[in-house]
Amino acid sequence: MRIVIGLLNGMLAGATPVLLAALGGAFTFYAGVFNIAMEGMLLAGAFCAALGSFFSGSWVIGVLCAIAGALSLSVLFILFAIVLKTDEFVTGIALNLFAAGATTYLLRQLFGVRGAFTDPAIQPMPRLEIPLLAQIPLAGEVLSGQNVMVYGAALAVLVCAWLIFRTPFGLRLRAAGYNAASLESSGVRPARVRIAALLICGVLCGLGGAFLSLGYVRLFAEGMSAGRGWIALAAVILVNGNPWGVALITLVFGLADGLGLLAQGLNVPAQFTGMAPYLATLIALFVYARRKSRARSGSSIQA
Amino acid sequence: MGNNPTHLPSFLPRVPEFITLHQITKTFPPNVVALDGVSVSFEAGEIHAVVGENGAGKSTLMKVLYGLYRPDRGQILLGNQSVRFHSANDAIAAGVGMVHQEILLIPEYTVWQNVVLGAEPRTRWGTLDVARARGAVQAKIDAFGFNIDPDAPVGELSVAARQKVEILKLLYRDVSVLILDEPTAVLTPLEVPQLFAELRRLRAAGKTILFISHHLDEVLELSDRITVLRRGKKVDTVPAASTSKSELARMMVGRELMFTARRAAQPKGEIILRVEGVYYRDKQGVSRLRDVSLTVRAGEIVGIAGVEGNGQYELVNVLVGLEHAEAGSIFINGHDLTHASILERRRHIAFVAQDRSKLAASVSASVAENAIMTHHRLNEMFARRRWRLDMRQAGAFTEQMRKQFTVAMSRPDQPFRALSGGNQQKVILGRELLLERPFLLLDQPTRGLDVGSTEYVREQIAQQRDAGRAILLISSDLEELFSLTDRIAVMYRGAIVADVPTAQTDLEQVGAWMLQGRNQRTAQSA
Repeated sequence: MRIVIGLLNGMLAGATPVLLAALGGAFTFYAGVFNIAMEGMLLAGAFCAALGSFFSGSWVIGVLCAIAGALSLSVLFILFAIVLKTDEFVTGIALNLFAAGATTYLLRQLFGVRGAFTDPAIQPMPRLEIPLLAQIPLAGEVLSGQNVMVYGAALAVLVCAWLIFRTPFGLRLRAAGYNAASLESSGVRPARVRIAALLICGVLCGLGGAFLSLGYVRLFAEGMSAGRGWIALAAVILVNGNPWGVALITLVFGLADGLGLLAQGLNVPAQFTGMAPYLATLIALFVYARRKSRARSGSSIQA
Repeated sequence: MGNNPTHLPSFLPRVPEFITLHQITKTFPPNVVALDGVSVSFEAGEIHAVVGENGAGKSTLMKVLYGLYRPDRGQILLGNQSVRFHSANDAIAAGVGMVHQEILLIPEYTVWQNVVLGAEPRTRWGTLDVARARGAVQAKIDAFGFNIDPDAPVGELSVAARQKVEILKLLYRDVSVLILDEPTAVLTPLEVPQLFAELRRLRAAGKTILFISHHLDEVLELSDRITVLRRGKKVDTVPAASTSKSELARMMVGRELMFTARRAAQPKGEIILRVEGVYYRDKQGVSRLRDVSLTVRAGEIVGIAGVEGNGQYELVNVLVGLEHAEAGSIFINGHDLTHASILERRRHIAFVAQDRSKLAASVSASVAENAIMTHHRLNEMFARRRWRLDMRQAGAFTEQMRKQFTVAMSRPDQPFRALSGGNQQKVILGRELLLERPFLLLDQPTRGLDVGSTEYVREQIAQQRDAGRAILLISSDLEELFSLTDRIAVMYRGAIVADVPTAQTDLEQVGAWMLQGRNQRTAQSA
């Protein structure tokens, strides 16, 4: 039983940053922006969160700094890809490389350390005890006492689904991706919708990054986003941006992450356990492609 | 000008000069004068057609009115106030809306979602007010008698229905002037009367309708007044009731046109194209061609009629080798080409593709490069030197084509896209005719061409027939089929449902077969 609870806790912790980044990616996906900069945004968020929390001694300031850090990359993306109309793919690659370089450089300049920076002055995000849920025998140990950002991510799924499917903004957002010319002829500038989507993506990636350095662990390490932004991208493409689908896929990813940690306890080399999330992504892609090709051949029988 | 059309319902207030375009001049760099001092007034509650050849300036005029282009000189008066629209939004806010030639809708959205996009009703909490949105759209549908379901996904609608959605979108925004750019170009013959009935209902409700068209019959049937443009200048504005097709044509081109192609009875030649029992499925496994059999004899033009998407596209692809038939066979001049490569087929087929910019030509290549395509492999003149392209010879070849087909161009190395649509088509047609193949496959050869170029292309086709070529002509223009062909085959859902001598059928019958196949033709003709 302990193992299962540990696994579920590991799953939620593993899923949270990917989920937040993928929700951000869902907005840009619907808006028709080929945004691959989630990886860099997560990393910038994680760095700025540690920085803010270290200097202010407040995790709230840390989170705000994380949002600001990720947003600055969003603004760069907007400046290049939307205003100057550079290629989105190249812009995204450049921003990811820039984020990796800049955080490494600043880590050495500001803190004089290589690899990882940890300090007791970094204040982590608190865990939240939910009064009634905590009483439930086994489920209480999973549902209550999680990091604030885990609840934040769950709430974000609801808010994003609501924004995308229930509001005029959502109708315009999806229109920008489906057929920008149609949106334009309806009197809405697609560029504005895309800018909004990228800003929302920055905020969500900032939250995800903050969880990496102030929730998952309490340190900043070079390249600590470790491909989560790319997995988020894969999740978004896999489910065509649907927030509920994104939540499901990232939970599967989190489960693989948890299994990896569990296997580490069983003396499986860390190099192998570390592969688990990426293997899970490949398997998900495989299953999805199979299901899609089956659905296609199925529909032709009807016709 | 200023004469009173008699159709106006008496209860409507008369607002004689509702919109006035005054001395509009528009020049595109470097020195193409698209509009030259054009003045027109549109009255409230009239249907006003703007006609002219391609390049006469009708689309430019509408775009100036709509705010997409800024005129160099001249002014737009709405009532007696001078206005200048800076965007489509400005125009719509002032009550002027445009239904574009290419329909701009989102197939993934339902009808009502498409209609309200950009002007959505909101609830108190800022969410989309679905009930109010649907209700408002339904109200417009009812008010103007559009037969359409607000919850239908637009991707599943016919082109005619999508056009209605575009119109609804403008009505939802309460425009009083609707501009329609070639509204009937995408419709089948039986859908046109329905659109016209709807436009008349809009007029009865006091809306002003401006429409651009090539089809003089339609213009005469629908409009109250007609403005004719030629080369950027207004020729005249005339009441539809007091003019005729030939008069309009003369005003448009400045000379008399022959509208009936001469069809001399020909002795039947031998069979050139023989298609037997061809079946084809697309990549999704959907059956697109079912048991298609067809023959075309030398000196004969066979027309294929059909609503777009009923297998014409696939038939063309299977004939030229872009797709392969699942069953059946294709013979040309006795050669079995069922499994032949495209290059092998092109030894026997001259082919004018429907899509000038994608399949028939490379718009970014030069005129000469486009002119020698296919010739560079199959024409003796070029095929001798296999590894080297003789551009000087290509230039000479292009020059010969320019003379023979009267192409208006400056130099052979000029980019193809710089030519007008009519001249592009002349180059393509010229290239294919100079191949001198026994079989000629023409897919919508006059689509998008102006009256003069259309007539030129049709003359060329008739000449080819007289020279003994076998011609298969796919066209969505029924009048074209009736004026040129010896036989008409109708495609419906991938099958040929009728194959009759042109002289023994008529437009209504073919139209009915196109829409309902042959068996149900007595059912109804909506």
